Amino acid sequence: MSQEAAVEEKKKDEYELDEFQKIMDQSNILKCVQCGKCTAGCPAGRESRIRIRELIHLAHEGKDLKDAPELWYCTTCYNCQERCPKGVDTTEAVIFLRNRAVRKGHHNFPDLHVTAITSLRDQGDGFPLSPEVEKIRSVIGLPRKPIDLAHDEEFLKDFQKLIDELGILDLVKEAQAQKKEEEEGEEDE
Amino acid sequence: MSEQQVTQEQNESQEQQVAQEQVPERFSLFPGCIAKNMYPSIEKSTRIVFEKIGIELLDHKYSCCPAPGVFRGYDRNTHMTLGVRNLVMANQDGVDVLTICNGCYGSLWEANHMFKKSKENQEFVNKMLEKIGLSYDGSTEVYHFADILHKHLDDIKANKEIDLGLKVAIHYGCHYLRPSEKHPDINPEAPHIVEDIVEALGCESLEFKNKLSCCGAGGGVWSGAEDVALKILDDKMNKIEEVGADCVVNICPFCHLQLDQGQAKLKTHKVPVLHLSELIGLAFGVRPKHLAMHTHMVSTRDIEKKVKKAKKESD
Repeated sequence: MSQEAAVEEKKKDEYELDEFQKIMDQSNILKCVQCGKCTAGCPAGRESRIRIRELIHLAHEGKDLKDAPELWYCTTCYNCQERCPKGVDTTEAVIFLRNRAVRKGHHNFPDLHVTAITSLRDQGDGFPLSPEVEKIRSVIGLPRKPIDLAHDEEFLKDFQKLIDELGILDLVKEAQAQKKEEEEGEEDE
Repeated sequence: MSEQQVTQEQNESQEQQVAQEQVPERFSLFPGCIAKNMYPSIEKSTRIVFEKIGIELLDHKYSCCPAPGVFRGYDRNTHMTLGVRNLVMANQDGVDVLTICNGCYGSLWEANHMFKKSKENQEFVNKMLEKIGLSYDGSTEVYHFADILHKHLDDIKANKEIDLGLKVAIHYGCHYLRPSEKHPDINPEAPHIVEDIVEALGCESLEFKNKLSCCGAGGGVWSGAEDVALKILDDKMNKIEEVGADCVVNICPFCHLQLDQGQAKLKTHKVPVLHLSELIGLAFGVRPKHLAMHTHMVSTRDIEKKVKKAKKESD
């Protein structure tokens, strides 16, 4: 490894450590004693392979969770967080871990998530209005088009400026591009 | 207590009553994407119910809350900032926000909470909002409609035209109850808010296993891992069917979407699904046709028949 590459690598490690530190500080995961109460009350855990106790353990150990699909099976019901006897903010930890996975660009984005983010950016709503519902609204005496941001050009323009500034769509696009690059790399091998 | 004291207290309570009557209660209605764009029956019934109990609802230029499942999972700062932008809309008119959805309630409550508790967040959000000429001072409150309705139980009883007589399975949904910081006065393992309201409408609230559990749709699972979402729902619906419920009553259009569309996808259950506003609308004597109840995937016809029969008995 060249000296330059080694410096780069070290910088990356430091960044990752910082991120983990932040997650731990903000969600108290260092207090976890692995009792498993979180997993016992997890509705998604009964129906899929997500184990909150395990996710917290891996995060605790500094393991990389970027490719774990189960990270995305949590419904954020907060049962675990409410019941944790040590006061670990388990659900918050899952959200931090997701944010980190997205930033690392390794998550297999479900298509509908990307649709929702694009729709929020372009139309101001995650679930936009359809012509069918527009008609029903007017039949039952509601304004045909709701009084909202989506139907006010000026407000929508400002909103798009704000969301572009925040860069959530760029994050998704970068992650998708990186994923594609990796998949192509694997094919070459 | 002396007679004088009693009279004084009576006077004070009368004065308070007059003060309340003089200033009508007002909120900015945050309908949320699903109620306004997919289940207008929920928005319509909410507007009817609140008008009848004397609470004024205003409209503002809101975006999606934004939905906590996807957006918060991808980028927390985006979620917080866009949530606060919504609060600014009501803040400019000096009114508080009324949500009719647990997702909207959770998003907006959390955005507000995160903003208030950290100076770093305040600086970040206001720096972003400045770019579109807005700013926020943290002075707007976010309310869930079930809490407001619960405070107006007497008004609900006064406006009730039909004793519904339905056996209902209440589905609270997660983000009303949890994290419990939102409701310091409610026990998240044994709430009694929606029960009180449905009982006031002449319904029986059924007890069933895992009553307070998740519908399966939250956290981006509805759109990201449908099989997991439907398995969680299937389990929930089994428990609801076991106790012979006439319908499921919810306080969240996103749970409503999952309960209604999810049953249609599973094809193994067909328990009608009603948002609490719709149930109250029926008890207030609003005709189902005027609420566009036919937009539900699981037919509500059986409920409508039962309500019609109950109306005859009430008359």
